[in-house]
Amino acid sequence: MYAQFFGNYLLTRDIVTKEQLITAMQKKTSQHMKLGTLAIHAGYMTAGEVDRVIILQTHQDKRFGEIAIHEGYLTETQVAELLKKQKPDFLRLGQVLIEDGVLDNEQLQDAIINYQSESEFDDFIYSDETRETIEHLLANFFVASERPLTRYELSYLQLLFNNLVRFIGDDFTPVAPYSAKEYPTNYCVSQKVSGEFSVRISIDMTKKCCIDFASRYAREIFPDFDEYVQASLEDFLNLHNGLFTVNLSNDYSVELQPDPPALETRELLTFQTETYLLPIIYPFGMLHFIIEIAPVE
Amino acid sequence: MTLNNVKILIGDDSILARKQLKDVIRSYGSPIFFEAANGQEAVDAYKKETPDLVFLDIVMPVKDGITAVSEIVGHDKNADIVIVSSVGTQTQLKAAIEAGANDFIQKPLNADQVRHIITSRFEGR
Repeated sequence: MYAQFFGNYLLTRDIVTKEQLITAMQKKTSQHMKLGTLAIHAGYMTAGEVDRVIILQTHQDKRFGEIAIHEGYLTETQVAELLKKQKPDFLRLGQVLIEDGVLDNEQLQDAIINYQSESEFDDFIYSDETRETIEHLLANFFVASERPLTRYELSYLQLLFNNLVRFIGDDFTPVAPYSAKEYPTNYCVSQKVSGEFSVRISIDMTKKCCIDFASRYAREIFPDFDEYVQASLEDFLNLHNGLFTVNLSNDYSVELQPDPPALETRELLTFQTETYLLPIIYPFGMLHFIIEIAPVE
Repeated sequence: MTLNNVKILIGDDSILARKQLKDVIRSYGSPIFFEAANGQEAVDAYKKETPDLVFLDIVMPVKDGITAVSEIVGHDKNADIVIVSSVGTQTQLKAAIEAGANDFIQKPLNADQVRHIITSRFEGR
């Protein structure tokens, strides 16, 4: 699942723009994976070799795999293995970026190698992520904070990404969070959770985006922005924060109490305390989580 | 099993959560539903309708679910109340049971749990 972070990696290294990433994400669900892209990721072929096979394909009426075997780049066993293997979502994204002319094979190869080495784990998409790996990934991801994340914050983010995958879909890319003093709202709902410490979480997106978000969450199609769509945002926030309080109670014996979620009516939110914005890009648009730590009453 | 003439009260501030719970229950029959969007409305609706079964959320505006359970049970000690909440901590569970709730369902809603609640009460009708 943490292939989601690959999109963010491309963004933060200025390899793609936000617009290019959104366009690519919208296309990638219908993307058919190419053997060349899979072979690069598996380390069986270099980007140069893939490019050479693609050029040869323009002169011969043969499939990529056949030419690659003939040229000695791949064995028949490797081709069979690549075709059988799970197709990782982030590679689909990379392939769309190639087809859109944003990247070439060489650049995608470099990006994959650098991302995997900087993230300090191999073959991450195929393996079961351990708790430590995920925490490590999250800690690296959350660079906006000048202090290390507390175990509660790590636990919160980990659950948030899990819940997005579970209730909305795994086809998202989180953009690196940043601290903020203010935020102009679109459609925004908030929920305060308090006890041993206090935090206010808001989720904000355009009304059009709300309709898609709600349709996924409720697993039914909402054609218009109505009361069920509005309730879906509050429900998601309430469910996520509720599950967080359960985890905190079970894992750390920390008791927190969520307030009922409420519609945010202010057009501009201003923050007096440490506040982070976490943008999440889905194919249907961008949403923001706003995390205010210990908000002042 | 028939749910005809069975009265079910659903107290949840989310119109979506109320709809989803009704949809699940409707797959087992057609009871008479009453709805409340906060704890106070739930208490008032209970006193007026005396439903056979009550589903209550915990986190609600005006009056929370645990307080509503206490008040409903104070009014009718035989009230059959099931808490449906995402805040399923041991502390909340204990508070709900002490207040007089009979069951607790952790959100997200699981159709099997709802079926168990319904069949354990109304099977044979």
